[in-house]
Amino acid sequence: MAGKDGDGDYQTWQCATCGFIYDEAEGLPDEGLPPGTRWADVPDDWICPLCGTPKSDFEMIVI
Amino acid sequence: MIPQDIAQTIVDPKAYADGKRVDDAFAFLRREMPLAQAQPENFDPFWVVTKHADILEVERQNELFHNGDRATTLTPIDVDKKVREMMGGSPHLVRSLVQMDNPDHMNYRRLTQSWFMPQNLKRLEERIREIARGFIDRMADMNGQCDFARDVAFLYPLHVIMEVLGVPEADEPRMLKLTQELFGSADPDLNRSGAEIRDADAALAQIGATVGEFIEYFNAMTEDRRSSPRDDIASVIANGTVADKPLGHLEAMSYYIIVATAGHDTTSNTTSSGLWALAENPDQFARLKSDPGLISSYLEESIRWATPVKHFMRTATADAELRGQKIARGDWLMLSYPSGNRDEDVYSDPFTFKVDRSPNKHVAFGYGAHVCLGQHLARMEMRILWEELLPRLESVELAGAPKLMEASFVCGPKSVPIRYRMQ
Repeated sequence: MAGKDGDGDYQTWQCATCGFIYDEAEGLPDEGLPPGTRWADVPDDWICPLCGTPKSDFEMIVI
Repeated sequence: MIPQDIAQTIVDPKAYADGKRVDDAFAFLRREMPLAQAQPENFDPFWVVTKHADILEVERQNELFHNGDRATTLTPIDVDKKVREMMGGSPHLVRSLVQMDNPDHMNYRRLTQSWFMPQNLKRLEERIREIARGFIDRMADMNGQCDFARDVAFLYPLHVIMEVLGVPEADEPRMLKLTQELFGSADPDLNRSGAEIRDADAALAQIGATVGEFIEYFNAMTEDRRSSPRDDIASVIANGTVADKPLGHLEAMSYYIIVATAGHDTTSNTTSSGLWALAENPDQFARLKSDPGLISSYLEESIRWATPVKHFMRTATADAELRGQKIARGDWLMLSYPSGNRDEDVYSDPFTFKVDRSPNKHVAFGYGAHVCLGQHLARMEMRILWEELLPRLESVELAGAPKLMEASFVCGPKSVPIRYRMQ
Protein backbone atom coordinates (compact mmCIF):
# COMPACT_ATOMS: atom_id res chain seq x y z
CA MET A 1 0.00 0.00 0.00
CA ALA A 2 1.43 3.28 -1.09
CA GLY A 3 0.09 5.60 1.59
CA LYS A 4 -3.04 7.07 3.09
CA ASP A 5 -5.57 9.75 2.63
CA GLY A 6 -8.53 10.68 4.77
CA ASP A 7 -10.30 7.37 4.06
CA GLY A 8 -7.52 5.00 5.18
CA ASP A 9 -4.78 3.08 3.38
CA TYR A 10 -4.71 3.09 -0.37
CA GLN A 11 -5.48 -0.27 -1.88
CA THR A 12 -4.41 -2.14 -5.00
CA TRP A 13 -6.71 -4.05 -7.33
CA GLN A 14 -5.63 -6.62 -9.89
CA CYS A 15 -7.12 -7.72 -13.19
CA ALA A 16 -7.97 -11.43 -13.04
CA THR A 17 -7.14 -11.90 -16.74
CA CYS A 18 -3.80 -10.20 -17.28
CA GLY A 19 -2.55 -9.17 -13.85
CA PHE A 20 -2.66 -5.40 -14.43
CA ILE A 21 -2.58 -3.61 -11.08
CA TYR A 22 -4.62 -0.51 -10.31
CA ASP A 23 -3.01 1.36 -7.42
CA GLU A 24 -5.35 3.90 -5.82
CA ALA A 25 -2.37 6.01 -4.74
CA GLU A 26 -1.11 6.38 -8.31
CA GLY A 27 -4.45 6.43 -10.13
CA LEU A 28 -4.25 6.35 -13.91
CA PRO A 29 -3.85 9.93 -15.10
CA ASP A 30 -3.81 8.84 -18.78
CA GLU A 31 -7.29 7.42 -18.25
CA GLY A 32 -8.62 10.46 -16.40
CA LEU A 33 -8.15 8.91 -12.94
CA PRO A 34 -5.93 11.25 -10.87
CA PRO A 35 -3.65 9.92 -8.11
CA GLY A 36 -5.69 9.08 -5.06
CA THR A 37 -8.78 7.93 -6.99
CA ARG A 38 -10.43 5.25 -4.88
CA TRP A 39 -11.52 2.00 -6.51
CA ALA A 40 -15.12 2.82 -5.55
CA ASP A 41 -14.83 6.03 -7.56
CA VAL A 42 -13.53 4.32 -10.71
CA PRO A 43 -16.51 4.24 -13.11
CA ASP A 44 -18.36 0.90 -13.27
CA ASP A 45 -17.92 0.76 -17.04
CA TRP A 46 -14.14 1.23 -16.80
CA ILE A 47 -12.17 -1.67 -18.30
CA CYS A 48 -8.63 -2.93 -17.83
CA PRO A 49 -6.34 -0.84 -20.04
CA LEU A 50 -4.22 -3.86 -20.97
CA CYS A 51 -6.83 -6.47 -21.82
CA GLY A 52 -10.33 -5.01 -21.61
CA THR A 53 -11.50 -7.06 -18.63
CA PRO A 54 -14.41 -5.34 -16.82
CA LYS A 55 -13.90 -3.63 -13.44
CA SER A 56 -16.07 -6.30 -11.81
CA ASP A 57 -13.39 -8.93 -12.54
CA PHE A 58 -10.68 -7.15 -10.57
CA GLU A 59 -9.66 -8.46 -7.16
CA MET A 60 -8.14 -6.58 -4.24
CA ILE A 61 -4.56 -7.68 -3.55
CA VAL A 62 -1.80 -6.80 -1.14
CA ILE A 63 1.61 -6.30 -2.72
CA MET B 1 -10.82 -7.57 -52.52
CA ILE B 2 -7.35 -6.33 -51.62
CA PRO B 3 -5.12 -5.77 -54.68
CA GLN B 4 -3.01 -8.85 -55.34
CA ASP B 5 0.36 -7.15 -54.92
CA ILE B 6 -0.64 -5.95 -51.45
CA ALA B 7 -2.08 -9.37 -50.56
CA GLN B 8 1.21 -11.04 -51.57
CA THR B 9 3.23 -8.49 -49.61
CA ILE B 10 1.48 -9.01 -46.27
CA VAL B 11 2.24 -12.76 -46.29
CA ASP B 12 5.76 -12.44 -47.66
CA PRO B 13 8.53 -13.06 -45.06
CA LYS B 14 10.92 -11.02 -47.21
CA ALA B 15 8.61 -8.00 -47.01
CA TYR B 16 8.82 -8.15 -43.19
CA ALA B 17 12.62 -8.34 -43.48
CA ASP B 18 12.50 -5.23 -45.65
CA GLY B 19 10.31 -3.41 -43.13
CA LYS B 20 9.29 -0.52 -45.36
CA ARG B 21 7.51 -2.72 -47.89
CA VAL B 22 5.20 -4.14 -45.27
CA ASP B 23 4.72 -0.77 -43.53
CA ASP B 24 3.71 0.78 -46.86
CA ALA B 25 1.29 -2.06 -47.62
CA PHE B 26 -0.50 -1.71 -44.29
CA ALA B 27 -0.50 2.10 -44.51
CA PHE B 28 -2.27 1.74 -47.87
CA LEU B 29 -4.78 -0.69 -46.37
CA ARG B 30 -5.53 1.48 -43.32
CA ARG B 31 -6.15 4.41 -45.64
CA GLU B 32 -8.00 2.75 -48.51
CA MET B 33 -9.48 -0.55 -47.29
CA PRO B 34 -9.05 -0.92 -43.52
CA LEU B 35 -11.05 -4.15 -43.38
CA ALA B 36 -11.09 -6.17 -46.58
CA GLN B 37 -10.43 -9.66 -47.82
CA ALA B 38 -7.15 -10.88 -49.26
CA GLN B 39 -6.39 -14.05 -51.15
CA PRO B 40 -2.68 -14.41 -51.76
CA GLU B 41 -1.57 -17.26 -53.99
CA ASN B 42 -1.93 -20.66 -52.26
CA PHE B 43 -3.92 -19.17 -49.34
CA ASP B 44 -7.59 -19.41 -48.48
CA PRO B 45 -9.17 -15.96 -48.40
CA PHE B 46 -9.02 -14.04 -45.13
CA TRP B 47 -10.03 -10.68 -43.75
CA VAL B 48 -7.17 -8.31 -42.98
CA VAL B 49 -7.85 -6.36 -39.78
CA THR B 50 -5.59 -3.32 -39.90
CA LYS B 51 -7.13 -0.82 -37.47
CA HIS B 52 -6.28 -0.63 -33.77
CA ALA B 53 -9.95 -0.38 -32.73
CA ASP B 54 -10.94 -3.40 -34.83
CA ILE B 55 -8.15 -5.54 -33.39
CA LEU B 56 -9.43 -4.73 -29.89
CA GLU B 57 -12.99 -5.47 -30.99
CA VAL B 58 -12.09 -8.91 -32.33
CA GLU B 59 -9.78 -9.86 -29.44
CA ARG B 60 -12.32 -8.71 -26.85
CA GLN B 61 -14.89 -11.18 -28.22
CA ASN B 62 -13.00 -14.42 -27.78
CA GLU B 63 -16.14 -16.56 -28.00
CA LEU B 64 -17.19 -14.99 -31.31
CA PHE B 65 -13.68 -15.11 -32.76
CA HIS B 66 -11.89 -18.34 -31.94
CA ASN B 67 -8.18 -19.04 -31.99
CA GLY B 68 -8.22 -22.75 -32.63
CA ASP B 69 -10.89 -23.52 -35.23
CA ARG B 70 -8.50 -22.95 -38.13
CA ALA B 71 -4.76 -22.34 -38.31
CA THR B 72 -3.72 -19.72 -35.76
CA THR B 73 -1.03 -18.28 -38.01
CA LEU B 74 -0.95 -17.61 -41.77
CA THR B 75 -0.69 -21.05 -43.33
CA PRO B 76 -0.67 -21.86 -47.06
CA ILE B 77 -3.31 -24.27 -48.34
CA ASP B 78 -0.89 -27.11 -49.07
CA VAL B 79 0.83 -26.84 -45.69
CA ASP B 80 -2.54 -26.72 -43.90
CA LYS B 81 -3.65 -29.86 -45.75
CA LYS B 82 -0.53 -31.78 -44.75
CA VAL B 83 -0.72 -30.63 -41.11
CA ARG B 84 -4.30 -31.89 -40.93
CA GLU B 85 -3.23 -35.22 -42.43
CA MET B 86 -0.47 -35.54 -39.84
CA MET B 87 -2.52 -34.36 -36.86
CA GLY B 88 -5.74 -36.33 -37.32
CA GLY B 89 -7.68 -33.42 -38.80
CA SER B 90 -6.37 -30.70 -36.49
CA PRO B 91 -4.85 -27.64 -38.18
CA HIS B 92 -2.24 -27.34 -35.40
CA LEU B 93 1.17 -29.01 -35.07
CA VAL B 94 1.23 -27.95 -31.41
CA ARG B 95 -1.57 -27.10 -29.02
CA SER B 96 -0.51 -24.31 -26.67
CA LEU B 97 -2.53 -21.46 -25.16
CA VAL B 98 -2.57 -19.62 -28.48
CA GLN B 99 -4.30 -22.52 -30.26
CA MET B 100 -6.87 -23.03 -27.48
CA ASP B 101 -10.31 -21.64 -26.80
CA ASN B 102 -12.40 -21.95 -23.66
CA PRO B 103 -12.78 -23.90 -21.51
CA ASP B 104 -9.31 -25.35 -22.21
CA HIS B 105 -7.69 -21.97 -22.65
CA MET B 106 -8.81 -20.71 -19.27
CA ASN B 107 -7.90 -23.95 -17.52
CA TYR B 108 -4.46 -24.23 -19.09
CA ARG B 109 -3.67 -20.56 -18.61
CA ARG B 110 -4.60 -20.78 -14.93
CA LEU B 111 -1.91 -23.41 -14.46
CA THR B 112 0.98 -20.92 -14.77
CA GLN B 113 -0.83 -17.58 -14.47
CA SER B 114 0.23 -16.95 -10.87
CA TRP B 115 3.87 -17.50 -11.85
CA PHE B 116 3.74 -14.62 -14.29
CA MET B 117 1.90 -12.13 -12.09
CA PRO B 118 3.80 -9.04 -10.90
CA GLN B 119 3.63 -9.99 -7.23
CA ASN B 120 5.40 -13.30 -7.93
CA LEU B 121 7.92 -11.74 -10.32
CA LYS B 122 9.04 -9.32 -7.62
CA ARG B 123 10.99 -12.11 -5.98
CA LEU B 124 12.98 -12.57 -9.21
CA GLU B 125 13.95 -8.90 -9.48
CA GLU B 126 17.36 -9.10 -7.83
CA ARG B 127 18.36 -12.25 -9.71
CA ILE B 128 17.31 -10.73 -13.03
CA ARG B 129 19.27 -7.59 -12.18
CA GLU B 130 22.32 -9.72 -11.53
CA ILE B 131 21.90 -11.41 -14.92
CA ALA B 132 21.46 -8.04 -16.65
CA ARG B 133 24.63 -6.67 -15.02
CA GLY B 134 26.54 -9.70 -16.26
CA PHE B 135 25.58 -8.99 -19.87
CA ILE B 136 26.31 -5.28 -19.49
CA ASP B 137 29.75 -6.02 -18.03
CA ARG B 138 30.38 -8.30 -20.97
CA MET B 139 29.31 -5.51 -23.34
CA ALA B 140 31.70 -3.13 -21.57
CA ASP B 141 34.54 -5.59 -22.25
CA MET B 142 33.91 -5.71 -26.00
CA ASN B 143 36.03 -2.69 -26.96
CA GLY B 144 33.11 -0.49 -27.86
CA GLN B 145 31.76 -2.61 -30.69
CA CYS B 146 29.32 -5.52 -30.76
CA ASP B 147 26.32 -6.96 -32.49
CA PHE B 148 23.75 -5.98 -29.90
CA ALA B 149 21.21 -8.52 -31.17
CA ARG B 150 23.56 -11.49 -31.09
CA ASP B 151 25.76 -10.53 -28.15
CA VAL B 152 23.17 -9.18 -25.72
CA ALA B 153 19.53 -9.11 -26.81
CA PHE B 154 19.21 -12.76 -27.86
CA LEU B 155 21.01 -14.01 -24.78
CA TYR B 156 19.73 -12.01 -21.81
CA PRO B 157 15.97 -12.81 -22.03
CA LEU B 158 16.94 -16.37 -23.01
CA HIS B 159 18.92 -16.79 -19.80
CA VAL B 160 16.10 -15.35 -17.68
CA ILE B 161 13.33 -17.53 -19.10
CA MET B 162 15.46 -20.67 -19.08
CA GLU B 163 16.14 -20.17 -15.37
CA VAL B 164 12.42 -19.66 -14.76
CA LEU B 165 11.56 -22.71 -16.86
CA GLY B 166 14.33 -24.82 -15.33
CA VAL B 167 16.55 -25.45 -18.38
CA PRO B 168 20.28 -25.71 -17.48
CA GLU B 169 22.54 -22.95 -18.79
CA ALA B 170 24.50 -25.45 -20.89
CA ASP B 171 21.37 -26.12 -22.95
CA GLU B 172 20.60 -22.46 -23.68
CA PRO B 173 22.39 -22.36 -27.06
CA ARG B 174 20.33 -25.34 -28.19
CA MET B 175 17.09 -23.67 -27.03
CA LEU B 176 18.06 -20.47 -28.89
CA LYS B 177 18.85 -22.41 -32.04
CA LEU B 178 15.56 -24.32 -31.93
CA THR B 179 13.60 -21.11 -31.28
CA GLN B 180 15.22 -19.39 -34.24
CA GLU B 181 14.59 -22.43 -36.43
CA LEU B 182 10.92 -22.32 -35.50
CA PHE B 183 10.24 -18.59 -35.85
CA GLY B 184 12.81 -18.15 -38.61
CA SER B 185 11.71 -21.16 -40.63
CA ALA B 186 11.51 -19.03 -43.79
CA ASP B 187 14.90 -17.40 -43.23
CA PRO B 188 17.87 -19.35 -44.66
CA ASP B 189 20.17 -17.66 -42.10
CA LEU B 190 18.18 -19.16 -39.24
CA ASN B 191 16.16 -22.16 -40.39
CA ARG B 192 17.13 -25.77 -39.91
CA SER B 193 18.07 -26.49 -43.50
CA GLY B 194 19.96 -23.25 -44.12
CA ALA B 195 18.20 -22.97 -47.48
CA GLU B 196 15.23 -21.28 -49.12
CA ILE B 197 12.05 -23.27 -48.54
CA ARG B 198 10.41 -24.13 -51.84
CA ASP B 199 7.43 -26.34 -51.00
CA ALA B 200 5.11 -27.58 -48.28
CA ASP B 201 7.00 -30.83 -47.77
CA ALA B 202 10.27 -29.01 -47.13
CA ALA B 203 8.58 -26.48 -44.83
CA LEU B 204 6.91 -29.16 -42.75
CA ALA B 205 9.92 -31.44 -42.67
CA GLN B 206 12.12 -28.84 -41.04
CA ILE B 207 9.49 -27.49 -38.64
CA GLY B 208 8.54 -31.05 -37.74
CA ALA B 209 12.17 -31.88 -36.99
CA THR B 210 12.54 -28.81 -34.79
CA VAL B 211 9.32 -29.55 -32.88
CA GLY B 212 10.42 -33.18 -32.58
CA GLU B 213 13.71 -32.12 -31.00
CA PHE B 214 11.90 -29.87 -28.53
CA ILE B 215 9.56 -32.76 -27.62
CA GLU B 216 12.42 -35.17 -27.09
CA TYR B 217 14.08 -32.66 -24.77
CA PHE B 218 10.95 -31.87 -22.79
CA ASN B 219 9.90 -35.51 -22.48
CA ALA B 220 13.10 -36.07 -20.53
CA MET B 221 12.46 -32.95 -18.48
CA THR B 222 8.94 -34.14 -17.63
CA GLU B 223 10.28 -37.43 -16.31
CA ASP B 224 12.88 -35.62 -14.22
CA ARG B 225 10.41 -33.15 -12.70
CA ARG B 226 7.89 -35.86 -11.94
CA SER B 227 10.47 -37.75 -9.92
CA SER B 228 12.07 -34.67 -8.35
CA PRO B 229 9.97 -31.50 -8.59
CA ARG B 230 11.66 -28.12 -8.18
CA ASP B 231 10.62 -24.49 -7.91
CA ASP B 232 10.37 -23.96 -11.67
CA ILE B 233 7.79 -23.78 -14.46
CA ALA B 234 8.82 -27.20 -15.79
CA SER B 235 7.70 -28.75 -12.51
CA VAL B 236 4.37 -26.93 -12.75
CA ILE B 237 3.80 -28.28 -16.26
CA ALA B 238 5.06 -31.79 -15.48
CA ASN B 239 2.98 -32.20 -12.34
CA GLY B 240 0.06 -29.90 -13.04
CA THR B 241 -3.51 -31.01 -13.53
CA VAL B 242 -6.32 -29.64 -15.63
CA ALA B 243 -9.82 -30.70 -14.61
CA ASP B 244 -8.20 -33.15 -12.15
CA LYS B 245 -6.18 -34.91 -14.85
CA PRO B 246 -2.52 -34.51 -15.87
CA LEU B 247 -2.02 -32.34 -18.96
CA GLY B 248 -2.40 -34.11 -22.28
CA HIS B 249 0.99 -35.00 -23.82
CA LEU B 250 0.64 -32.66 -26.81
CA GLU B 251 -0.63 -29.87 -24.55
CA ALA B 252 2.22 -30.33 -22.05
CA MET B 253 4.87 -30.37 -24.79
CA SER B 254 3.29 -27.33 -26.39
CA TYR B 255 3.29 -25.52 -23.04
CA TYR B 256 7.04 -26.09 -22.65
CA ILE B 257 7.62 -25.02 -26.24
CA ILE B 258 5.69 -21.76 -25.98
CA VAL B 259 7.51 -20.79 -22.78
CA ALA B 260 10.88 -21.80 -24.26
CA THR B 261 10.34 -19.82 -27.48
CA ALA B 262 7.89 -16.93 -27.08
CA GLY B 263 9.26 -16.45 -23.57
CA HIS B 264 12.45 -14.86 -24.87
CA ASP B 265 12.37 -14.24 -28.62
CA THR B 266 9.78 -11.45 -28.41
CA THR B 267 11.68 -9.68 -25.64
CA SER B 268 14.93 -10.06 -27.59
CA ASN B 269 13.34 -8.52 -30.66
CA THR B 270 12.01 -5.59 -28.66
CA THR B 271 15.30 -4.99 -26.85
CA SER B 272 17.24 -4.94 -30.13
CA SER B 273 14.69 -2.73 -31.83
CA GLY B 274 14.71 -0.30 -28.92
CA LEU B 275 18.48 0.09 -29.01
CA TRP B 276 18.47 0.35 -32.80
CA ALA B 277 15.95 3.20 -32.53
CA LEU B 278 18.13 5.03 -29.97
CA ALA B 279 21.20 4.61 -32.17
CA GLU B 280 19.31 6.12 -35.09
CA ASN B 281 17.79 8.93 -33.04
CA PRO B 282 20.52 10.60 -30.96
CA ASP B 283 18.09 13.27 -29.74
CA GLN B 284 15.88 10.56 -28.24
CA PHE B 285 18.90 8.84 -26.68
CA ALA B 286 19.98 12.16 -25.12
CA ARG B 287 16.46 12.79 -23.84
CA LEU B 288 16.29 9.34 -22.24
CA LYS B 289 19.78 9.72 -20.75
CA SER B 290 18.85 13.05 -19.21
CA ASP B 291 15.60 11.74 -17.73
CA PRO B 292 15.67 8.08 -16.63
CA GLY B 293 12.09 8.59 -15.47
CA LEU B 294 11.26 8.05 -19.16
CA ILE B 295 12.44 4.42 -19.13
CA SER B 296 8.88 3.21 -18.70
CA SER B 297 7.52 5.18 -21.69
CA TYR B 298 10.64 4.30 -23.71
CA LEU B 299 9.92 0.62 -23.11
CA GLU B 300 6.32 0.93 -24.25
CA GLU B 301 7.50 2.79 -27.34
CA SER B 302 10.08 0.06 -28.01
CA ILE B 303 7.36 -2.57 -27.73
CA ARG B 304 5.10 -0.61 -30.10
CA TRP B 305 8.01 0.04 -32.46
CA ALA B 306 9.12 -3.60 -32.60
CA THR B 307 5.72 -5.31 -32.36
CA PRO B 308 7.48 -8.69 -32.56
CA VAL B 309 4.28 -10.70 -33.02
CA LYS B 310 3.22 -9.68 -36.51
CA HIS B 311 -0.15 -11.39 -36.58
CA PHE B 312 -2.51 -13.99 -35.25
CA MET B 313 -5.45 -15.48 -37.08
CA ARG B 314 -8.99 -15.76 -35.71
CA THR B 315 -12.01 -17.68 -37.01
CA ALA B 316 -15.57 -16.35 -36.70
CA THR B 317 -17.83 -18.78 -34.83
CA ALA B 318 -21.00 -17.01 -36.03
CA ASP B 319 -22.02 -14.38 -38.53
CA ALA B 320 -20.80 -11.01 -37.29
CA GLU B 321 -20.41 -7.38 -38.30
CA LEU B 322 -17.18 -5.43 -38.06
CA ARG B 323 -16.58 -1.92 -39.41
CA GLY B 324 -19.83 -2.25 -41.35
CA GLN B 325 -18.69 -5.44 -43.11
CA LYS B 326 -20.47 -8.78 -42.88
CA ILE B 327 -18.17 -11.45 -41.51
CA ALA B 328 -19.55 -14.94 -42.12
CA ARG B 329 -19.29 -17.85 -39.73
CA GLY B 330 -16.08 -19.73 -40.50
CA ASP B 331 -14.32 -16.70 -42.00
CA TRP B 332 -10.62 -16.37 -41.22
CA LEU B 333 -9.25 -13.04 -39.97
CA MET B 334 -5.66 -11.79 -39.82
CA LEU B 335 -5.04 -9.42 -36.92
CA SER B 336 -2.09 -7.24 -37.96
CA TYR B 337 -0.53 -5.92 -34.77
CA PRO B 338 2.15 -3.77 -36.46
CA SER B 339 -0.61 -2.12 -38.45
CA GLY B 340 -2.69 -1.47 -35.31
CA ASN B 341 0.41 0.01 -33.71
CA ARG B 342 0.92 2.43 -36.62
CA ASP B 343 -2.74 3.42 -36.82
CA GLU B 344 -2.90 7.13 -37.65
CA ASP B 345 -6.27 7.40 -35.83
CA VAL B 346 -4.56 6.43 -32.56
CA TYR B 347 -1.00 7.69 -32.91
CA SER B 348 0.33 11.05 -33.99
CA ASP B 349 3.45 10.56 -36.11
CA PRO B 350 3.20 6.77 -35.87
CA PHE B 351 6.41 6.27 -37.81
CA THR B 352 8.41 8.45 -35.41
CA PHE B 353 10.11 6.91 -32.38
CA LYS B 354 9.37 9.01 -29.27
CA VAL B 355 10.78 7.96 -25.91
CA ASP B 356 8.14 10.05 -24.14
CA ARG B 357 5.10 8.93 -26.17
CA SER B 358 2.02 9.05 -23.98
CA PRO B 359 -0.56 7.63 -24.02
CA ASN B 360 0.70 4.52 -25.79
CA LYS B 361 -1.92 1.80 -25.59
CA HIS B 362 -0.35 -0.47 -28.18
CA VAL B 363 -1.67 -3.90 -29.09
CA ALA B 364 1.72 -5.63 -29.22
CA PHE B 365 0.76 -7.99 -26.39
CA GLY B 366 -2.69 -8.57 -27.81
CA TYR B 367 -5.86 -7.85 -25.87
CA GLY B 368 -8.65 -9.75 -24.15
CA ALA B 369 -8.46 -13.28 -22.78
CA HIS B 370 -5.41 -14.17 -24.91
CA VAL B 371 -3.35 -11.14 -23.90
CA CYS B 372 0.31 -12.14 -23.48
CA LEU B 373 0.83 -14.11 -20.28
CA GLY B 374 4.47 -13.08 -20.08
CA GLN B 375 4.01 -9.34 -20.59
CA HIS B 376 4.89 -8.41 -16.98
CA LEU B 377 8.06 -10.49 -17.08
CA ALA B 378 9.01 -8.98 -20.45
CA ARG B 379 8.52 -5.43 -19.14
CA MET B 380 10.44 -6.21 -15.96
CA GLU B 381 13.40 -7.70 -17.83
CA MET B 382 13.62 -4.73 -20.15
CA ARG B 383 13.17 -2.16 -17.36
CA ILE B 384 15.99 -3.73 -15.37
CA LEU B 385 18.29 -3.94 -18.40
CA TRP B 386 17.81 -0.27 -19.19
CA GLU B 387 18.05 0.83 -15.55
CA GLU B 388 21.46 -0.82 -15.51
CA LEU B 389 22.67 -0.03 -19.03
CA LEU B 390 21.56 3.57 -19.48
CA PRO B 391 23.74 5.12 -16.74
CA ARG B 392 26.81 3.37 -18.22
CA LEU B 393 26.11 3.91 -21.92
CA GLU B 394 27.65 7.24 -22.92
CA SER B 395 27.09 7.03 -26.67
CA VAL B 396 25.79 4.60 -29.25
CA GLU B 397 25.63 4.57 -33.03
CA LEU B 398 25.09 2.00 -35.73
CA ALA B 399 28.29 0.37 -37.00
CA GLY B 400 26.64 -1.22 -40.01
CA ALA B 401 23.22 -1.94 -41.45
CA PRO B 402 20.94 -3.87 -39.07
CA LYS B 403 19.15 -6.88 -40.56
CA LEU B 404 15.61 -8.09 -39.91
CA MET B 405 14.52 -11.73 -39.95
CA GLU B 406 12.58 -13.09 -42.90
CA ALA B 407 9.37 -14.14 -41.17
CA SER B 408 5.73 -13.13 -41.08
CA PHE B 409 4.74 -14.40 -37.62
CA VAL B 410 7.25 -13.62 -34.81
CA CYS B 411 10.31 -11.66 -35.87
CA GLY B 412 12.61 -8.74 -35.38
CA PRO B 413 16.27 -7.82 -35.85
CA LYS B 414 18.74 -10.64 -36.38
CA SER B 415 21.71 -8.30 -36.38
CA VAL B 416 22.23 -4.81 -34.91
CA PRO B 417 25.93 -3.85 -35.19
CA ILE B 418 26.78 -0.92 -32.92
CA ARG B 419 29.68 1.24 -31.80
CA TYR B 420 29.45 2.68 -28.30
CA ARG B 421 31.23 4.19 -25.34
CA MET B 422 30.58 2.87 -21.89
CA GLN B 423 31.65 3.70 -18.36
